[in-house]
Amino acid sequence: MPSAIPTGNERITKFTNCRLVKGDELVEQDLWVSSETGKIVRSQEVFYGKHEVPDNIINLGGRIISPGLIDVQLNGAFGFNFSTIPDDVSSYGKVLKQVNKSLVQTGVTSYLPTLTSSRPEVYHQALPFLGPSGGPRRAEDGAESLGAHCEGPFISPTKNGIHPVEVIVPAVNGFSDLEKMYGASNIYPTVSPIDGALLPPKIRKITAAPEIAKMTQTIPELISRGIIYSMGHTEATYEEASAAVAAGGTMITHLFNAMRPLHHRNPGVFGVLGLAESLPRPYFGVIADGIHLHPTSIKIAFNAHPDGFILVTDAMHLVGLPDGVYEWNNDGERLVKTGPSLTLEGTNKIAGSSITLIECVTNFLNWSGASVPQALKAVTATPAAMLGLGGVKGSLEGDADADLVIIDEEIDESGMKNLRIDQVWKFGNSTHWFVAIEEDIGQPKMKSGELI
Amino acid sequence: MRLIIRDDPVSASSYIANYIIERINNFNPTKEHPFVLGLPTGSSPVSVYKVLVERYKAGDVSFENVVTFNMDEYIGIPREHPQSYHTYMYDHFFSHVNVHPSNIHILNGNAIDPETECVQYEAAIKAAGGIDLFLGGIGPDGHIAFNEPGSSLLSRTRVKTLAYDTILANSRFFGNDLEKVPKMALTVGVQTILEAREVVIIITGAHKSMALKKCVEDGVNHMWTLSSLQLHPHPMIVVDEDATLELQVKTVKYFKSIEAVATSQGFEQILPSKVRTGPRPRAIAKKIGAGPEIQEPGILEPQPVTSTLLTAPANEYPVRSHTPELIPDRMGSRITAH
Ligand SMILES: [Zn+2]
Repeated sequence: MPSAIPTGNERITKFTNCRLVKGDELVEQDLWVSSETGKIVRSQEVFYGKHEVPDNIINLGGRIISPGLIDVQLNGAFGFNFSTIPDDVSSYGKVLKQVNKSLVQTGVTSYLPTLTSSRPEVYHQALPFLGPSGGPRRAEDGAESLGAHCEGPFISPTKNGIHPVEVIVPAVNGFSDLEKMYGASNIYPTVSPIDGALLPPKIRKITAAPEIAKMTQTIPELISRGIIYSMGHTEATYEEASAAVAAGGTMITHLFNAMRPLHHRNPGVFGVLGLAESLPRPYFGVIADGIHLHPTSIKIAFNAHPDGFILVTDAMHLVGLPDGVYEWNNDGERLVKTGPSLTLEGTNKIAGSSITLIECVTNFLNWSGASVPQALKAVTATPAAMLGLGGVKGSLEGDADADLVIIDEEIDESGMKNLRIDQVWKFGNSTHWFVAIEEDIGQPKMKSGELI
Repeated sequence: MRLIIRDDPVSASSYIANYIIERINNFNPTKEHPFVLGLPTGSSPVSVYKVLVERYKAGDVSFENVVTFNMDEYIGIPREHPQSYHTYMYDHFFSHVNVHPSNIHILNGNAIDPETECVQYEAAIKAAGGIDLFLGGIGPDGHIAFNEPGSSLLSRTRVKTLAYDTILANSRFFGNDLEKVPKMALTVGVQTILEAREVVIIITGAHKSMALKKCVEDGVNHMWTLSSLQLHPHPMIVVDEDATLELQVKTVKYFKSIEAVATSQGFEQILPSKVRTGPRPRAIAKKIGAGPEIQEPGILEPQPVTSTLLTAPANEYPVRSHTPELIPDRMGSRITAH
């Protein structure tokens, strides 16, 4: 048999004594990741086929390994609002890089930076920075943008939430209005200057109200460019929502919030979660911060369509900052932060949240009776599937990107569960260790690289 | 033959695991002089592997200088298939211990030329110095590896067509779809196993009790291929109580009494030194001996009977044979026509 020829740059880490989040189950299984490829290693194939053994072994003492968390609705973080263009535009990219490095510490390894309804110049200036950022596959870059999420401005002026009404517009001319608003270079796939490969557009997802102007007819134009259409901030009836799904809409933005409530005569947007009209059921985002939604509403939504259930933070840039009044947008409006609650100054309007994604998972876990893997699926495999990235993100199967969070499950005296993030890994490299974990397994040690 | 009877499958398995560990540790394998271990798949060995892994993690044994040869593998399913024996071995044993992948040998069921693969496998065993201990399990019909009833007791590593019953039984692992069940396998032969310096077999469960009876109380018979073990100089069968269901009471008592006496005399392991340590290179043996060769007191290594009684030269064995090999001719064909 041929012997292994070490190339010297392989760095395979094996996690052992751990439980992997796979589907709705926790599976006791080892996991191998490669810092060289940044992917999860098909360990059995590499072992038999290439005679490779791990370079280091981490005994996780029964901890849970989850795919890295994915937040598909994040408006900003660590004091930086994606929708606020600084006076010095060139600093936008620099600050964004810092935000990515900080964000990964919260366990969010990839996300959709979300722009709230803005004037065209904001999109033209911000979107070039917000496109997919994982190309170089560098762990030190921190959290990775999977593309921007444009929430508005083609939304219903009566379901605007905190989006300023004066920037909300109808797409009367259909797709060309979107092109003008966001900028053609941000809405079309581009060709890589390096290898000529087709790159996805900067925009990954658009939230718009299907009943306004020509939006529903525009949906096929979006999906043909690889952009996901999500309905939200809408007055849509059940019939209008169904038409949007039939046209290719696959997502609902923060279900229940900024839409008509469920009415027994017309179930509105919520109705499309039912198995009706033989349409595919869309995915839907839910904010589990205890303010936006009653826990029972969340439970009902989950049970209506568990495989479509996605937890999002909708967090504003004020996460982690002290209470007070903060500048918000370019229009001079301000936000009041009182603990976890954010309101628009002078109103009672909820202005996003200031919660982290893992806190949303913990809340959902305690409110719903769902299992730990079910709750984690709502921020991993399900958002990945919604984005068309199944098997690449949000997965622990071989060849998926090795973005991981190592989680310890704590239960207090009253039976409340808490998921504590002990480590974060990005592209096969550890980025943060919050808890010291022993680095190798009991005696005798695996002597790697030793050939016979 | 030694027959070790334990109360339940768990203690039978730990007996074997502990025995293997003791053998490896006494052998003191090195890179130049590795311990060569033959390994099975199947349900009974699972708990043997479990104990081996536990003891490895506790630091009681190292597999660093252990070379392994597996018994068999299906033809035509991917190595990564959940039912492949590669997967079985990876999941139950190799991924948990420090056997180096370059020391592992499993027949390649996707080899372009399966017959060459078999010839090379035999050559690899020879090159490794032969197998020190072959661990095996059996099927309810007393077959060892894929040497199903009727297999030649002189068989070597070869391509085997699986018996229809085996294919049917396996279909539950392949979504009950007969189309997906492998119809052929590569397997070591009976002779390959008998040539190991020691053979240890685990048999647990009442459904295998008839096979145990046939192999222990009856004669050598190709319909129960494990019975060929009677021709081996150092066989050991470890069973649980359930597997003795068909044995005569006196057989059970006899083997239990032998074990009791041997234990009381501190004489549990009665392998001659050559078998215990394998064929060490001459230079090393001299160094240890330092003068006239030291004889092991009292135990001379018996020669394998098969090697003298059954002396068909190796090149006469067909590399390929089909199951069923036994095709009794019709009586009518023997009557000459008038
Ligand atoms: Zn919103």
